[in-house]
Amino acid sequence: MLSPVLLIAIPLGFSFLAPLLKKGAKYIPPIAMLFNLILSILLVPQVMRKPIIVLLGGGWPPPFCINLVASPLGILLALLISLVGFLVSIYAIAYIKEGATEKYHTLYLLLLTGATGIVLTGDIFNLFVFFEILCISSYALVAYNGDKHGLESAVKYLIQGSIGSSFILIGIALLYGLFGTLNMADIANNISYHSLQSPTLYVALAFFITGFGVEGAIFPLNAWLPDAHSSAPSTISAILSGIAIKTGVYAIARVTYTLFSAKGFMIFIATIGIITLLIGEMSALGQKKDIKRMLAYSSIGQIGLIIFAFGIATYYGIFGALFQLVNHALAKSLLFLASGYMIYRVGSKELSAFEGLGKKMPLSSLVFTIGAFSLIGLPPFAGFMSKISIISAGIKANNTALFVFVIIVLFATIIEGCYFFRVVQNLYFKKSRDPAHNCVRDGCPTTQKSEMPISALIPIIILALLIVAIGIYPRLVTGIIESAAIGLMDKVGYIHQILGIF
Amino acid sequence: MKSIEIIVPPVLAFIIGLFFLGLFRRIMARIHWRYGPPLIQPLIDVIKLFHQKSVQHGIMFNIGLIFSLAGSIVVVLFLPFGRICPLSESGGLLVILYIMLIAPLGLALSGGEGANPNISIGISRKFILSLGYEIPLLLILLSIMTHYKTISLMEIVKIQQNTSWALLSFPLFLPALAYLLILPAILGVRPFDVSSAPQEIASGTMVEYGGRYLALATIEHAFSLFIGISLFVNLFLGGSCNIVVFFIKMLVVFTIGVFINAVFPRLRIEQAIKYLWRLPVALAFIGLIIVSIL
Amino acid sequence: MILITILLIAFGGAFVTYLAGKISGKLRNILAVLVSLALVVLISLIYRREISREYYTLPFLNLKLILMSNPLSWFFAIIIAGIGLLSILYSLEYMKDKERLDYYYFTLLFINASMLGTVISGDLLSFFIFWEIMSWSTYLLISYKGGKAIAAGLKYIIMSIIGSLAMLLVIISLYSRYGTMEISAIASYMQTASIGYTLFILITSSLSFVIINAFWPLHTWLPDAHAEAVSPFSSVLSAVLVRKGIYGLYLFMYVILGLNILNKLHVGFISFSSVLCGIGAVTIVFAAFTALVQEDSKRILAWSTVGQGGYMLLGIVFATASGMTGGMFHVLNHCIYIALLFFVAGAIEHRTGGIRNINELGGLIKRMPVTFIAALVGISGLIGIPLTNGFVSKWLIYKTLILGNHPFLAFAAFVGTWGTVLYGYKFIHNIFLGQLPEKYKHIKEAPLLMQLPMILLTVTVILFGVLPGIPLRVISAIQRQVALPPLQTTLFGIPKEAGELNMINVLFAILISCFIVWLLFRRAAKSVPVQQDDSYAAGSYVPKEKYHYTVNFYNPLSKMITPYLRDVASLFYLNIARGTQRVCNIIRRVYVGEVGYYAMYIVLFLAFLIFIQMFF
Repeated sequence: MLSPVLLIAIPLGFSFLAPLLKKGAKYIPPIAMLFNLILSILLVPQVMRKPIIVLLGGGWPPPFCINLVASPLGILLALLISLVGFLVSIYAIAYIKEGATEKYHTLYLLLLTGATGIVLTGDIFNLFVFFEILCISSYALVAYNGDKHGLESAVKYLIQGSIGSSFILIGIALLYGLFGTLNMADIANNISYHSLQSPTLYVALAFFITGFGVEGAIFPLNAWLPDAHSSAPSTISAILSGIAIKTGVYAIARVTYTLFSAKGFMIFIATIGIITLLIGEMSALGQKKDIKRMLAYSSIGQIGLIIFAFGIATYYGIFGALFQLVNHALAKSLLFLASGYMIYRVGSKELSAFEGLGKKMPLSSLVFTIGAFSLIGLPPFAGFMSKISIISAGIKANNTALFVFVIIVLFATIIEGCYFFRVVQNLYFKKSRDPAHNCVRDGCPTTQKSEMPISALIPIIILALLIVAIGIYPRLVTGIIESAAIGLMDKVGYIHQILGIF
Repeated sequence: MKSIEIIVPPVLAFIIGLFFLGLFRRIMARIHWRYGPPLIQPLIDVIKLFHQKSVQHGIMFNIGLIFSLAGSIVVVLFLPFGRICPLSESGGLLVILYIMLIAPLGLALSGGEGANPNISIGISRKFILSLGYEIPLLLILLSIMTHYKTISLMEIVKIQQNTSWALLSFPLFLPALAYLLILPAILGVRPFDVSSAPQEIASGTMVEYGGRYLALATIEHAFSLFIGISLFVNLFLGGSCNIVVFFIKMLVVFTIGVFINAVFPRLRIEQAIKYLWRLPVALAFIGLIIVSIL
Repeated sequence: MILITILLIAFGGAFVTYLAGKISGKLRNILAVLVSLALVVLISLIYRREISREYYTLPFLNLKLILMSNPLSWFFAIIIAGIGLLSILYSLEYMKDKERLDYYYFTLLFINASMLGTVISGDLLSFFIFWEIMSWSTYLLISYKGGKAIAAGLKYIIMSIIGSLAMLLVIISLYSRYGTMEISAIASYMQTASIGYTLFILITSSLSFVIINAFWPLHTWLPDAHAEAVSPFSSVLSAVLVRKGIYGLYLFMYVILGLNILNKLHVGFISFSSVLCGIGAVTIVFAAFTALVQEDSKRILAWSTVGQGGYMLLGIVFATASGMTGGMFHVLNHCIYIALLFFVAGAIEHRTGGIRNINELGGLIKRMPVTFIAALVGISGLIGIPLTNGFVSKWLIYKTLILGNHPFLAFAAFVGTWGTVLYGYKFIHNIFLGQLPEKYKHIKEAPLLMQLPMILLTVTVILFGVLPGIPLRVISAIQRQVALPPLQTTLFGIPKEAGELNMINVLFAILISCFIVWLLFRRAAKSVPVQQDDSYAAGSYVPKEKYHYTVNFYNPLSKMITPYLRDVASLFYLNIARGTQRVCNIIRRVYVGEVGYYAMYIVLFLAFLIFIQMFF
């Protein structure tokens, strides 16, 4: 039987398998994620017709038990998580060589379990639990390299993350105190049908946004991100950037749209998004040395763009946001993965060390360029399609503030272009300066190609192909994104499906 | 009939141009309290030069010069001369302006092939000087064309003959004055003979020319004298219905133009530019503003 | 189907060529030539055929992507394909020993394909998509050489992104207002739009076209990019790519808005057209004089590209028959002679080992006569000497300006021409005339494959100069398309009713005069060729170093004008860029690295949210 439960159960189960198999541990995550990937693809047609609701814990009808909701939105994100998770885990087979590898793989699967759980669950407390699973495994993974930077940033991440988690918990407590229920549909139902205007609700919303905002990396709650992304192994940076912070964004969207349906509040969300976008992009432009840090800042910017699109609060806005979310996950994990081996080969995170790498690692450079172009939003790559959707949503909303924001988005795109083209020209057009400097590990011959191992190359090439394919033929993904967007907008439908009332 | 119309202007231009060259030397001589050569001395020189052997420096050295003289001849065909204007229907004043470029460019190409530093300096000066006088000249031409709302020189002449000379009409006397001020520069005579200054750069552009080359260059100079003056007569003095009156008008203009500046010593190129870009440009500019407002 | 075939061949050909390069270099070269040849043939086939066909609907915005062909797009398409073919031919020899040739040919073909895409797009979205593809692929090729080209490329791509984002804003705004992006549909909707909105559309979209066309004050990317790109590509850049700006302006001004609306857009004296005119005039004069003080052969040509754009602008802004025709014709003419001149500069680079400083050259006429003739004809076209194509278009533009009572614009145009004479002569003089430096005594004429495109273009310059009727007929079809009065033409020029220009008369006059002078010349006493140092030094010893006067050729003039030629715009952008960098660096400091601050941020943010919610 194809059940969404398996999407959570398989990675969870496999994650405990990993420590048992010492040598073979590295093959566990790909297998688990391949299962998940196939499963979620198979589920898509079914879910598109009607969301699947799975009841856990005693079989009580909805408000009284924990339930999973495989709506188009959930399955879209689950698909994305398993796809990126699968590709990253293949990459990791060759990339993760040192240290406690089996622990890495266990934690990695746990992180993905958490992420999948977050997007599928229909229960707010359950969501919190999965959130904690995700966060805690990511704290540990950030420190995986075991060096000073890794530990320091993991601790920073831990502190901020815990503050965030406790805020979420406070928010949940407030809601539970008001309504005595933890089921999201039920809470939503209560809020809209009792039309309570209590200040407690506002406070709860503020706690939620702040709490999820830490993981979702909105400004100014994202200070952990540059450190964590740059000091984690590249695979983890890819997952953090591609998946983990997306779950935070998802949670914010879920809370604001489904739980509170805070229409009037949306313009603030858009504002926060725009500020995050600007700060992120400008910081990335200012970061001229460390490539991973630059990518991390760029992630902040992109998250800002997604949040801004959510803040437009129209169907088109949500569509654009989800589309951008997918494209950013693909492109950013591609960039982190591609830069991972580049950094490994040149032995430095310095941008200047990448000079002339286009000749030595032609394929990695090519896919890196594709990812960068997609993020800037150049056609015919996927990023263009989503950016144009967001801009068109912003203008269509017919709101002066949003129009100004759109112009800021365009401005941020220019900045994006500046720093990504800076990297691209380093790769292709600059001659490598000092051969000795470029090659510190493995004694690689400087004149010859030193491409990544094939198992690392395949995932990033698949990502690049996906980006191009979506860019040329957006129908590939827009169908499910459309129904996901409709699902997120349709609060009444959500309540109706789960509670079965009306 | 048509073939005579085509032949007459260049031949007359040749004669008149050489006559002006001789006249110019006479005038300068009188100013210097000398007697001066006879008026037909330039013609004698040209004929003599054609029989002298000379040196050459390559194919462009020849072709450039041929182009240059041919260009001048074509310009003459475009200028109404009395009633005669064989090519009046082929583009008007704008074409004249552009064909007038062929002569200096041809000379410059020919001279450049000579590879003599003196020539190059001469050419450089010549081009700078021409930029100097072209700026007022263009303003002048534009005010005429704007005022009469046509680009055909024939039309301009016709309108003046029906009404009054441009020189005597209100806004256009300003550009006319400016034209007179820059006339020596257009003709390349004293004090604007910077490009062929014999004492400084050994006659500049002319230094490598001898024999037939010098002859052709002299003829070219004669033609350019003719063109510069006849353009003024056509633009401001209403051209003329017959050749004799036209010639008299040209004679008057030439004398005035030469006398305005002849007493000055040769200007340095910067001084020449400064001179050209001050009073003449100001006059022409004011004229153009008034014309375009009216 | 033919349009999609063209695009498929163009884009697919680029990829196939790239892959072929992995097998063998020869195969790749043959394929590249074949692909570009096929494009020329296919495009000639659709001459005078109006095609419009929908191909694809985007799923999320319900946008139709349409390809179409009409006189305007055909005109530009044939230019693109023609110059594309010639530059590929030229590259075969020029690029022979360079590295990364697969990449080079791929990008060149890809750029050509995307340019073709922009002109045969029937809706604004596909126009934009192809435009963006064109932008970034161009960037990839500008920076190809590395070194200085890197900064040039970056400058280009950033300015280009700014422009295209402005265009994106316009396109999306039109879409959200009218729910379509089809050019013809938008054109009919726009007839009823308010003045303010029209202005917004026009100004914002022009930004992009002004940048790509490098009008002052947004010209700063061009001189660097054109000078630093490889020569065959410089000619593509300068001849075709830059003129996409004119295409865009024409599209927005006349096809989408139309004359009626344009005439309404004015406040007193100031109208949209008058602003554009001003820009055009400043561009002409500024560029001409800046070119005058350059010492780098390709940089001279690059600045001339900037300047000539001004003429086109002055032409097309005035929607009279002669102005429009002149502007469009000048696009074609400029494309022919500037491609020729960049080929010339490339040939010299090729033979002298990459010398671009014209002061180091000289006397090459003896070694490279074909290249010299090409240069002479090209420069004549650039100046606009009669019998070259540049003359006819400039004549039309001047006539429009003078008869339309714009003497000051005409004055700027004339002054620009005189500047062109000066730097054009300097280009020829310093490279080809005078003393041949010792080290170039034995260089050879450009290879045959490089000569071939140059000869073809040289012939075309003359051909269109003498028989302007051929291209003018194509251009009058464009006019009819946007319901402007077409210009009457004859094979040799303009008939009497429309203002009489007859190039055949001029041709005969010049030929006969030349013949007569030549006869005179032949009859006279003979001359003997002598060594140059023989006559100059009168036979005495002349040092072997160069004594020819070329360096700082117009010194007295340069000294006078250089203070006025400070590129204020460029400095301004530089300061903006620096300022942005500084601000970004400061902003980055928000992330101080102290976890205590971060915790404070979080709490403050919470407080802020609660505060906001309490009050709104």
